[in-house]
Amino acid sequence: MIDLLPHIINGLTLGLLFALIALGFTLIVGVMEVINLAHGSLFAIGAYFALTVIAGSWFAGTPFGAWWLSLPLGLRYVLALALGPALAGLAGMLLELCLRPTYGKPPLYGLLLTFGAALVIEELIRLVWGTGEQNLALPQAINGAFLLNGMIFSTYRFFAAGFSIAAIIAVWLFLERTSAGAVIKAGAHDSEMVRALGYDLARLRLVVFGFGAALAGLAGVVMVPIWGLRPHVGVDIVIPAFLIIVIGGVGSFWGAVIAALLVGLAIGITGAYAAAWSTMSMYLLLIAILGFRSRGLLGRKSALEN
Amino acid sequence: MSKIKISRRGLLGAAGAASAVSLFAGPWQHNRVWAQGAAKPLRIGITADASGMYANSGASDKRGMAMAIAEANERGGVLGRKVEFVHIDTETTAATGSRVAERMISREQCGFLVGAVHSGVANAISQVAQKYGVVYINTNSSSPTEAGQNCHRVKFVFDGNGTNFAKAAVKSAIERFGPDWMLLTNDYVWGHDTAAATKTLLKEYGGKVMEEVLIPQGTRDFTSALLKVQQRKPGVISAAIGGDDQKAMRQQVVQLKMGDKPAWINSQQDWDDVYGLPIETLFGVFGTTWYYRLDLPGVADFVKRYQAMYPETAMRSPGNVFYNGYMAIRELLGAVERAGTTNNIAVIKALEGHRISARDRMQHFDASIDAQTHQVQQTIYLATANKAPKEKDDIFEVLSQAKAEDVRDTDSAKLCKLEPYEQTPTFDA
Repeated sequence: MIDLLPHIINGLTLGLLFALIALGFTLIVGVMEVINLAHGSLFAIGAYFALTVIAGSWFAGTPFGAWWLSLPLGLRYVLALALGPALAGLAGMLLELCLRPTYGKPPLYGLLLTFGAALVIEELIRLVWGTGEQNLALPQAINGAFLLNGMIFSTYRFFAAGFSIAAIIAVWLFLERTSAGAVIKAGAHDSEMVRALGYDLARLRLVVFGFGAALAGLAGVVMVPIWGLRPHVGVDIVIPAFLIIVIGGVGSFWGAVIAALLVGLAIGITGAYAAAWSTMSMYLLLIAILGFRSRGLLGRKSALEN
Repeated sequence: MSKIKISRRGLLGAAGAASAVSLFAGPWQHNRVWAQGAAKPLRIGITADASGMYANSGASDKRGMAMAIAEANERGGVLGRKVEFVHIDTETTAATGSRVAERMISREQCGFLVGAVHSGVANAISQVAQKYGVVYINTNSSSPTEAGQNCHRVKFVFDGNGTNFAKAAVKSAIERFGPDWMLLTNDYVWGHDTAAATKTLLKEYGGKVMEEVLIPQGTRDFTSALLKVQQRKPGVISAAIGGDDQKAMRQQVVQLKMGDKPAWINSQQDWDDVYGLPIETLFGVFGTTWYYRLDLPGVADFVKRYQAMYPETAMRSPGNVFYNGYMAIRELLGAVERAGTTNNIAVIKALEGHRISARDRMQHFDASIDAQTHQVQQTIYLATANKAPKEKDDIFEVLSQAKAEDVRDTDSAKLCKLEPYEQTPTFDA
């Protein structure tokens, strides 16, 4: 058990990071009824903008670039945490505008459009930021490692997990305690009724998509110091995010959080004791859970089950 | 020099169309033998990865080949023929590698295939090449299997392999850091075979494997494995982790402050995998076949030519992957000239056993192309992070150089069974 504990902690911290990615995904699926295959690409956009803010790469060699780099790294990191998600949110809103002609058509249209968007975004990233591996510089205060129970842990990983908990609570409070959140939740249940009540459905969709994209961007900024940053990082991340919302139950907030923790635990523990199975473990978890509960852990009962 | 680029989407579309046509026309029945003619360009198919986990290395590989081709054309070509190349992305996947090789031979009229970083991709390409009899130069794959059980008469392997690098490092590491080793192994052919070579040497020199942790390709989070290392407390970790996976691992090891202890041995360190990373991520001792600041004749001029040809490339100094790509084309074209023909059997014979002087290879010792395995036996360098760099890119400190004979992969020679000449289809480029 003593040997297992660090891996459980490791798995839970990883799960919290996955939850951050999956929340935006599940919101968009719930309200828009669109499986946004470009969600991982929005994650990547957030991270690359954060890289630009932290490294000042676009202004390198200019007097402004020199001034920018003279700012404390901690300040640049905080700005990246704000600007990365904001720009990812704007990119998400742009994507939503492109999606509009697909509303009311078979889901395949939306699926193909977001898949195409993912390819376009990946190529744009290659053009703008290059093909190489990049890394986000971290302020000293959240870098390095510490000892816990005789085991060494990454300080940043715990910071990222704590940040994820705060973000999850903030999103939950927003959805539960604000009128805007109530409209979003209502939109997820019955968007036509929301329109009938006089709300602008087009604007609601735009805002929700932007919000979901901003969450993806935030996850990108927080997660890439652990995962590394490369043009196809979005493709790497969209698969676990998709599995998590299916395991948790499509559209379920807490379902996504619980599923993310389970996936993190599965990867963390198999990574230590059967590493060759660590990637496979999340698929096995999906099979196991859908095997006895086809709508996912906290998914709504479908009409077909009545 | 003419360059024809085909995108992967274009390739997919073309592959679909080609499949439709082949259904109508039936499968090709025999090899295409291209008409000879002095004016006909000699076409080389570059099979470098342009996407996937070895995309960066693939780009360097291609740049090295393109520079060698440009230089050959400046000299008037080969056998009076201009040299052209066509490049198609193998996407670092074996299935695409097979399709690319088929297309290059059957439709793009390539007389030679050159390139690959991923050993699984290289193996797939070489099977197709052997079927047609097309000479294939594997520039940058390091799995011992490439010149071992997966060797072919048409294939030549230009990089050092896991066994070469392990032989250069294992014995002294046991003496210095102790016999208790843990292995971190990328879960594919190169990782497994490099680990197998390390295990054999550990057994030979009195070391022992405390545990081997298999790391699936595409792993981004190494914390589980690193916690395991921390629990087991080995004296040495031997890591055979490649490409983007290795970059992620290096950064996480540094975050956990585990770079100095235990000791790290990385069988091989490709330049592209660490270029631009902070110097502290270059912990441990690792192998390479070349470094751009080797104090040897020709190196400085080679670097200048690289910088003149690629002024816009972010990687401002050439690395071992570029070097291998360049040397492969140069030796291939040299063999064609020595043979005086593009006939595959004649070119193969001109390559087999060929000796290359240290001066020509810009290495410390002479090299040779093993006639039995078709692997280039060459100088192997051990290096570590350079704490006193002379310039921004001077990130390696070369610790030692081993002669080819001292690190020769004798195991591959036992496993490699080259197809007889008469069972290799005749092909003329």
